[in-house]
Amino acid sequence: MPTGLFHSTYKDDEKIFQAIWLKCWMGGLLLFLFVGLPFIAPALSGIFGFSVQHMANMIGIYIIGAHGLNLLTGFTGQISLGHGAFMGVGAYTSAILFMKAGWPFWLSLPAAGLVTAGVGMIFGVPSLRLRGLYLAIATMAAQFIIGYAMRNWTSLTGGSGGLNVDRPSFLGFALDTDLHYYYLILVLAIVSTVFLKNLLRTRTGRAMVAVRDRYLSAEIMGVNLFKYRLLAFGISSFYVGVAGGLFAHYNLVVSDEHFTMWLSIQYLAMVIIGGLGHVLGGIFGTIFMVLLPEVLRIPTQILSNIYPNIFAIFGTLRELVFGLVIILFLIFEPDGLAARWHTIRAYWKLWPFSY
Amino acid sequence: MKRIKTYHWFCILLLVAGLTFWGCAKKEAEPIKIGGIFDITGPTSAVGKDYAQACKDAERYINANGGINGRKIHLIDNDYAYKIPEAVNLYKQYKDVDKVFVIQGWGTGDTNALKAQVTKDKIVYISASYDSALCDPSKTPYNFFVVTSYSDCIRLAMQFVKEQAAKKVVFTYPDHPYGKAPIPAGKAMAKELGLEVGPDEIVGLRAIDATSQLLHMKQFNPDWAWIGGTTPSASVTVKDAVKLGLKTKFISNIWGFDENLLQLLGDAGNERMYGMEPLAMYGADVPGMKPILEFNKKYSPDAVHTVRYIQGWTAMMVMWEGLKRADKAGQLNGPGLKAALETLKDFDTGGLAAPITYTPTDHRPTMSATIYKMSQGKLVPVKKVSIAREDRFLGW
Repeated sequence: MPTGLFHSTYKDDEKIFQAIWLKCWMGGLLLFLFVGLPFIAPALSGIFGFSVQHMANMIGIYIIGAHGLNLLTGFTGQISLGHGAFMGVGAYTSAILFMKAGWPFWLSLPAAGLVTAGVGMIFGVPSLRLRGLYLAIATMAAQFIIGYAMRNWTSLTGGSGGLNVDRPSFLGFALDTDLHYYYLILVLAIVSTVFLKNLLRTRTGRAMVAVRDRYLSAEIMGVNLFKYRLLAFGISSFYVGVAGGLFAHYNLVVSDEHFTMWLSIQYLAMVIIGGLGHVLGGIFGTIFMVLLPEVLRIPTQILSNIYPNIFAIFGTLRELVFGLVIILFLIFEPDGLAARWHTIRAYWKLWPFSY
Repeated sequence: MKRIKTYHWFCILLLVAGLTFWGCAKKEAEPIKIGGIFDITGPTSAVGKDYAQACKDAERYINANGGINGRKIHLIDNDYAYKIPEAVNLYKQYKDVDKVFVIQGWGTGDTNALKAQVTKDKIVYISASYDSALCDPSKTPYNFFVVTSYSDCIRLAMQFVKEQAAKKVVFTYPDHPYGKAPIPAGKAMAKELGLEVGPDEIVGLRAIDATSQLLHMKQFNPDWAWIGGTTPSASVTVKDAVKLGLKTKFISNIWGFDENLLQLLGDAGNERMYGMEPLAMYGADVPGMKPILEFNKKYSPDAVHTVRYIQGWTAMMVMWEGLKRADKAGQLNGPGLKAALETLKDFDTGGLAAPITYTPTDHRPTMSATIYKMSQGKLVPVKKVSIAREDRFLGW
């Protein structure tokens, strides 16, 4: 009986779940997500004072988008400040196809992904020549151009007042409550996670990582830089586009204000706080970034009930603390939450006989 | 090591106990919950803070004066920084967790974004967005507001400038739902009155410079210009106009004109800056002002307020009246409050606002406003104006 994990084949070494326990844990987590969370969400909402179900849905949607950016920034090493706008492209595409062209939801959602992938690849073309900050600025252009189009192409997008969207039905099943929608989001979030994890184990994924680590060596090894950079932009935008489509039908309204530079930066913050280049990073980072502002509301609320005279000050306080927490996080957890997760796991592996 | 662990356990225990007590305490008293969506830190916070403070103060005032036939109210105040997604988050919280049936909201963008949902969920939504699109109950039956709509203001403004022998007008506004909402109405009215309309100028809510827009405007050289921003952006526009030597006079929408202009503009606005103001200024000599002044003398004597305070206060007073009527009818819920508000006929706010009327087919509260101007370091009323309640003006 081996006393640890000893792989004798490469195939073993590449397995995602290397031990039976991991599969059990994963099964438990899935069971919790599918059955447990919807069940306890109302009770949790009562304790925390915000709608837990809604937050779970938002987290699910943003996880898909964060995975997209993580693939691009974390695994291929290309920075993008345009992902907020790309999410908007997906949202508007699905909304317009669904509301104006009368497409069914199961077609409009993938179409949102494909259109966004196309747009993302167009804005990804400069990545051949530009790197780092320069690429960031080039992708920022997407933010301005797409944002302007969303605001002013009134006949198509409804202008700055936004576009109202209906909740869809999926295969004859009306997704009219947050809970129904939660299952759709959950399934898509799981599929996107599994796809990302597996993509990285393929030739394509390895080529992307090679491009990130040292593009010159990658090119010498025969990796077509332009192809993989563009592919990364395409897949990444597809992810974010699908997230946008989900968001549009969940939120019931899309307007340019949802998809500003702030969202792009938020996406970056998610993957950086979560951990660049870790699949788990996108998940942890998103949970952190979505929940933190809501959690910070709780003390604000209590304080404003005690001091109604100066309650306006506490709103500002919340924004300050939000900024402060992120700075502290980057100082003390520079590798992101995913790295911390691995440390904690390693600690428990040997507990209580750690040395 | 061990001591630290004990300490940790103690902390966790304390937290759990605290949460439990907090949860229990929340359950004991059962006030009527009201959702609040305010801008305290965002682009419109310059006018939003005072409005929010007024709502919070009015909550205290209402509770001290009998509440809703003896029941207290609780206004859950939250800042959304003028971001639509945050407003949607708050709305979900109010609907699912706090289970409110009335919300005090704020901006045009978020109110429009939520109007389909409040209709579906039957939640009365009283906004500080006076967008005419919210006045048509066949489309937005649960949206209310308490003063003259933006579009009626802009129509009145056009009539006024026509009387002032204007020939050419220009519209300046931020590229934002609030700024853009009344522009079609203004242009249609200008056309009707035979005014020549110049190219629009976009001045952002957080603009600190409008020179390029005004240089462009100078070429057209209008007699009057509409300002559709808030007080800070209005003052930037007027100051730059003076700097560039424009002769244009300005008339501002309600959110661009308040007591703060006196400081922001100084002499630059003298006899040049006009504003639509459907409410009494803070401290004006009307009967409805008395409780406000007394309240502030008692609780926050140092506070400085503006007409925004009156706006928030009035919104709460109208809601109070609606809640009282709904409670009397035994229908303390969304549809009940909607029906109760629709029974308001020439409801008197003590002169704070023009008498308010809602009917099941028309949610335009009033059709009149006062035009003020800056003169000798004061805001002086120029003229009371009103427009006929015509069906053709409903909803845009």
